[in-house]
Amino acid sequence: MTSDAIPIGHEHVPPGPPAEATPSFARIVLRRTFASWRARVGAAWIGLMAFAAVFAPFLASSHPLAMKIDGRWSSPLLQHLTAADVILLIAAFTALALLCVPVAMSRRMMLFGGVLLILIPTAYLTIRPPATVVYERYREWEAAGRIERAFYAPIPYSPSDRLRDQPQASLRAPDRRHLLGTEVHGADVLSRMIHAARIALAIGLIATGIAVVLGVIIGGLMGYYSGTVDILGMRLIEIFEAIPTLFLLLAFVAFFPRNLYIMMAIIGLTSWTGNARFIRAEFLRLRKQDFVQAAIAAGLPLRSVLFRHMLPNGITPVLISASFGVASAILYESTLSFLGLGLVDEPSWGQLLNQALGVGGTFTWWIALYPGLAIFLTVFAYNLVGESLRDALDPKLSGIQ
Amino acid sequence: MIDYIIRRLLLMVPTLVGITAVVFFVMAYSPGGVGATLISRDAELRPAERRALEEYYNRRYGLNLPRPLQYLRWLGRVSPVGPKSAHEGFPRGLAFGLKAPDLGESMSRHRPVGAMILEALPVTLLLNLITIPIIYSVSIYLGIHAARHRGKLQDVGSGTVLLGLWSIPSIWAGVMLIGFFASREYLKLFPTTGLHDVRAESMLFLPSFGPEGFQRGWLLDTLYHLVLPVICLTYGGFAFLAKLSRGAVLEALMADYVRTARAKGLSEKAVLYNHVLRNSLLPLITVAAHLLPGLIAGAVVVETIFGIPGMGKLTIDAINARDREVVLATTLVAGVLSLIGILIADVCYAIADPRVSYDK
Repeated sequence: MTSDAIPIGHEHVPPGPPAEATPSFARIVLRRTFASWRARVGAAWIGLMAFAAVFAPFLASSHPLAMKIDGRWSSPLLQHLTAADVILLIAAFTALALLCVPVAMSRRMMLFGGVLLILIPTAYLTIRPPATVVYERYREWEAAGRIERAFYAPIPYSPSDRLRDQPQASLRAPDRRHLLGTEVHGADVLSRMIHAARIALAIGLIATGIAVVLGVIIGGLMGYYSGTVDILGMRLIEIFEAIPTLFLLLAFVAFFPRNLYIMMAIIGLTSWTGNARFIRAEFLRLRKQDFVQAAIAAGLPLRSVLFRHMLPNGITPVLISASFGVASAILYESTLSFLGLGLVDEPSWGQLLNQALGVGGTFTWWIALYPGLAIFLTVFAYNLVGESLRDALDPKLSGIQ
Repeated sequence: MIDYIIRRLLLMVPTLVGITAVVFFVMAYSPGGVGATLISRDAELRPAERRALEEYYNRRYGLNLPRPLQYLRWLGRVSPVGPKSAHEGFPRGLAFGLKAPDLGESMSRHRPVGAMILEALPVTLLLNLITIPIIYSVSIYLGIHAARHRGKLQDVGSGTVLLGLWSIPSIWAGVMLIGFFASREYLKLFPTTGLHDVRAESMLFLPSFGPEGFQRGWLLDTLYHLVLPVICLTYGGFAFLAKLSRGAVLEALMADYVRTARAKGLSEKAVLYNHVLRNSLLPLITVAAHLLPGLIAGAVVVETIFGIPGMGKLTIDAINARDREVVLATTLVAGVLSLIGILIADVCYAIADPRVSYDK
């Protein structure tokens, strides 16, 4: 039975001839997934959102990219970059560069992790943007004629620029200055939406990552040991499944401080059960197979048996559910923000949507339409990718074609 | 079968204890705990009054006890078996036995929690009772349709459209529906909030023609208020169930008995609806159970947007007010409901498919 043990993720590079003759399983699946236009459309939208998330400060900011004031050039935008902005930028470029370098996937992951490990503390320690930001001053300087030349981002409004210097800034309908209008406090809707892409994508990816790791560990132990561990684990899964996730999330979020990382952890903590079920089923199937027995007989440590030998053969259903998991994590975040339980001063699609229905039955269509559309398209994109991945991995379908 | 049901009912007890324990300890170990928020709400108290209030809460809810003990106290109150005052419950003479569970009193509204739940639960159940049949009938029809035209445009197209519907966040759908169909700016076709008209109390139950012309009546008025919320709850369910019924119908269409039925010269309709449909319903039954908790959670959002006083709104309000008793009670009720839903589905499964047996 070892013949169907196709390792993915870990490439056991043979010392002899290059493995070009037979493409790896992961490569076949990827090719089959992106053969359908649905997956391509979905991936394109996700790519666009990722671009918006990484380059948000350069796409929408009240700070001029470069300006000549009193005869001297300066770049307020670069000065106001936060540690998170810099980390995102460098991480994105590192990831792109690593994808171009021909090394094994596991090596790439390790390199990327190492870069992040050095990058995050140094960025937080060294980068200190000015604590108080007065957006109005650029417009005042402009009006006073102090600025000789200035280059602005494509959308010259920061997400928290409430336009305090302008009368009736709040709830302005879309026009040429504010392409998607302004929200209740006067901030530009498009700018807030671009910056909100960050939270949506970060929550989706990290919460799902936590859910996958938890599900793999708990489900893996259940499937490997079966018996008592399995029964106890199933009760745990039942408990978490019988509480509606949204209830638990609401309870967690309402009772604990509002924080992006806590929110990610909570969404992850409440949505691991499906992954655990899949891994458990796969491991129950795998544990008696020859290659696993051989690994145990060789005296390998449990960690190695579970994650090196069994996991690559049982991970595929989790890959599919992770793709849908990202979509549902984004939905949860926007629902929480919509209900007023999201982050306090961070732009979020759900929180924008919440402002569409005002007190007294007023309805602001541009605040309802665009952020909602952003949530919908992102969730739809992840679902499309997940659906194509499922079709590509479905053994029944591949037998027919 | 009876054995099986009893065993499953008993197995529910540890699960329910686990569910409430998770929620209880989340609340108990949150910064500030439950008591602090209760007291901070009345901020303008004099120190003596504050101490008196604190003492009252501590005595009433045991907030100064160690947290595990608080949880055990709560369990003792809601448990239907345990110490009780004699002459109440069963058996009458003894101080130990069956009793009515006491869900406590709401900390923010100072009303018995049991009564609050009895008001809210029927509303949520009504929403679900309208929603589930609609989801099922539409998605079974769509699933059969897709399976018959497998691989053609109808199949792929309906799959993508349904996936799109599934991806529409219900918060967006709710806001857009209210905005365009119920607000003053656009079409004012439907009411924006609530479950009844202001005059609902004085309405007849059924619609009638009186001297003032057509009267909607209580029933139609309620349904009229439920149109938008039900749309909001249903559209997302189609994708999942339609995909499932498509798969089941496809599998059944390839079975030998279908070939036999066709060979007998039965019409395609008879083959589909008498032979294929009945055999492909099985997976749909099991899924019903897992749909229920999702719908209760979905009701949270829909009830909040449309201002419907159901379980979801009760829970959200309680969570926002940090009302420990109500949050625990709604969690318990939601847990019981979903576990019973799963049990009913398993029993239905055995009834529908004679091959499935739970008896050893």
